[in-house]
Amino acid sequence: MKTFVTFLPRALVIFVIFMFFVMPFIVVALSAFADQWSGTVLPSSYTFKWFVNLKPADWYALRMSLYVAAEVAFLATAISVWLALTIQSVGGKVGKVMDALAMFPISVPSVVLGLAVLITYSSRPFDLSSSWQIVVLGQTALVLPFAYRIIAAGLQQEITSLKDAAKTLGAPPVMVLREVTLPMLGPAIRTSIAFTMAISLGELGVTMMVYPPGFETVPIDVINKVNRGFYYDASSIALILLAISLTVLTLIAYLRLDFWRGSKRRELAK
Amino acid sequence: MSASKNTVWRKLNLLALLLFVFAPLILYPFASLLGYAFTFNGKISVEGFVGFFTSPTTRAILEASLKILVISGVLASLTGITIAAVIYFFPFKGSGPLVRFMELFVSFPSFLVAFTLIFQYGDEGSVNILLKEIFGLEQAPLSFLFGIGGVVLAQVIYYTPFIVRPTLNSLLKIDPSAIEAAKTLGAAPGMVAREVILPQATAGIFAGVILCFLLTLNEFGILLVLASAQLVTLPVSIYSEATINLDLNAAAVQAVIMLVMSVCLYLVYRWFAHRAGEA
Repeated sequence: MKTFVTFLPRALVIFVIFMFFVMPFIVVALSAFADQWSGTVLPSSYTFKWFVNLKPADWYALRMSLYVAAEVAFLATAISVWLALTIQSVGGKVGKVMDALAMFPISVPSVVLGLAVLITYSSRPFDLSSSWQIVVLGQTALVLPFAYRIIAAGLQQEITSLKDAAKTLGAPPVMVLREVTLPMLGPAIRTSIAFTMAISLGELGVTMMVYPPGFETVPIDVINKVNRGFYYDASSIALILLAISLTVLTLIAYLRLDFWRGSKRRELAK
Repeated sequence: MSASKNTVWRKLNLLALLLFVFAPLILYPFASLLGYAFTFNGKISVEGFVGFFTSPTTRAILEASLKILVISGVLASLTGITIAAVIYFFPFKGSGPLVRFMELFVSFPSFLVAFTLIFQYGDEGSVNILLKEIFGLEQAPLSFLFGIGGVVLAQVIYYTPFIVRPTLNSLLKIDPSAIEAAKTLGAAPGMVAREVILPQATAGIFAGVILCFLLTLNEFGILLVLASAQLVTLPVSIYSEATINLDLNAAAVQAVIMLVMSVCLYLVYRWFAHRAGEA
């Protein structure tokens, strides 16, 4: 009886985890290689034809996704290092206001952020509506809180005291930045780049709102294919994106950063 | 001399941050958004908002959004808390990696989760076919995918991991000696759960639940894949007002309404997270 009491909840949880969280990965992988998968429990046979079938437009979307993700990750991380260092040295009320501003986009729906960027940058004086840089701009605003939180958590107390020590010993600020702060921030910078790249690769709300005519990222490509019923083509390009994105994120798992909690950042803000 | 030079640098640095980061990314876009929302026929006015709350069409959109939000949020919370509780009370070999895997799951774009459901729960999907074969049925037993049922299922799947992690974190933070002490003093398991574990874990669990509601409210990709033409929520409506009807003012009005809702939810989340951090 007792074994049954502990066995049942465990079995149920494992079943739910499998059906909910493992199946999506399996389904994307299977359907990308399925010759035909309709009316059968498993695909009837397997093939590479959907990958061979991918059009130049799909590869263009993949290339653009990677360009945008790389640019967004670099910009958001560089801005976050600048922001976090400034906020740490300023402190007080000004620091708190800047901290709140940097975190603000986390509470903004992606579609709303996209609309704000679209309204602002699709007419003069700052008309970006025909350039894909408008996508980069919108996504950078979207991922900024995540990057900033990771970098701020990396700027822990020990670094501050090391910095103070270097300053007391007469090192000029540029030297302190180059020799102490940036090397110590290395892991946080890596994590921030990996995490913001992963978000950018799967981003849909902001991108759909602002993308210029003729431009495409993989998520937009997949949505278009799904809505036209081209399921297998959608699966194959989605699987490639997923593989890239998971490789990037494995870095995070390896670095073991608890990325949706901001407890360290709050300690810093005090 | 060097002190005043320092303050000049400091001010220049702040000015540069304001001009090159905050203004272009946050302040200017959201100021424009507010400007569009409060403009009607070229004049400053709240007419757009009055129109939103009096028109039956837009009120139906608001109601549909809230309905999906409540159903998905509650179901995801229940599922997530249950999974976390089972893992905490009956840990098993491999439960650690399973939790890790759920964390990795959030890298899976939400619209892809919705898409994979078509292969599983669609009329010709594998789950339906399996059930048909097992029970010898003529028709697909599960037929709910395109519409509110599918949207809710996809949102529950996608947002449950956001509940599991915070719940598990706040359970794991409880001092085991407090539980041990209560047990030694003769408290029954139910009483330990009610009097020792729950009070300490509540704030953290609520933080996770609120975060889940916030993310569910803002979900867009799942709706694009699974919602029927009649099922329109605020994000979808904002998108179609702006890109199909090309009515930026109407889109901005709805965006500001959404923004108010999600900022409020975020502030509640911060409050609970703060309490959980101090407990």
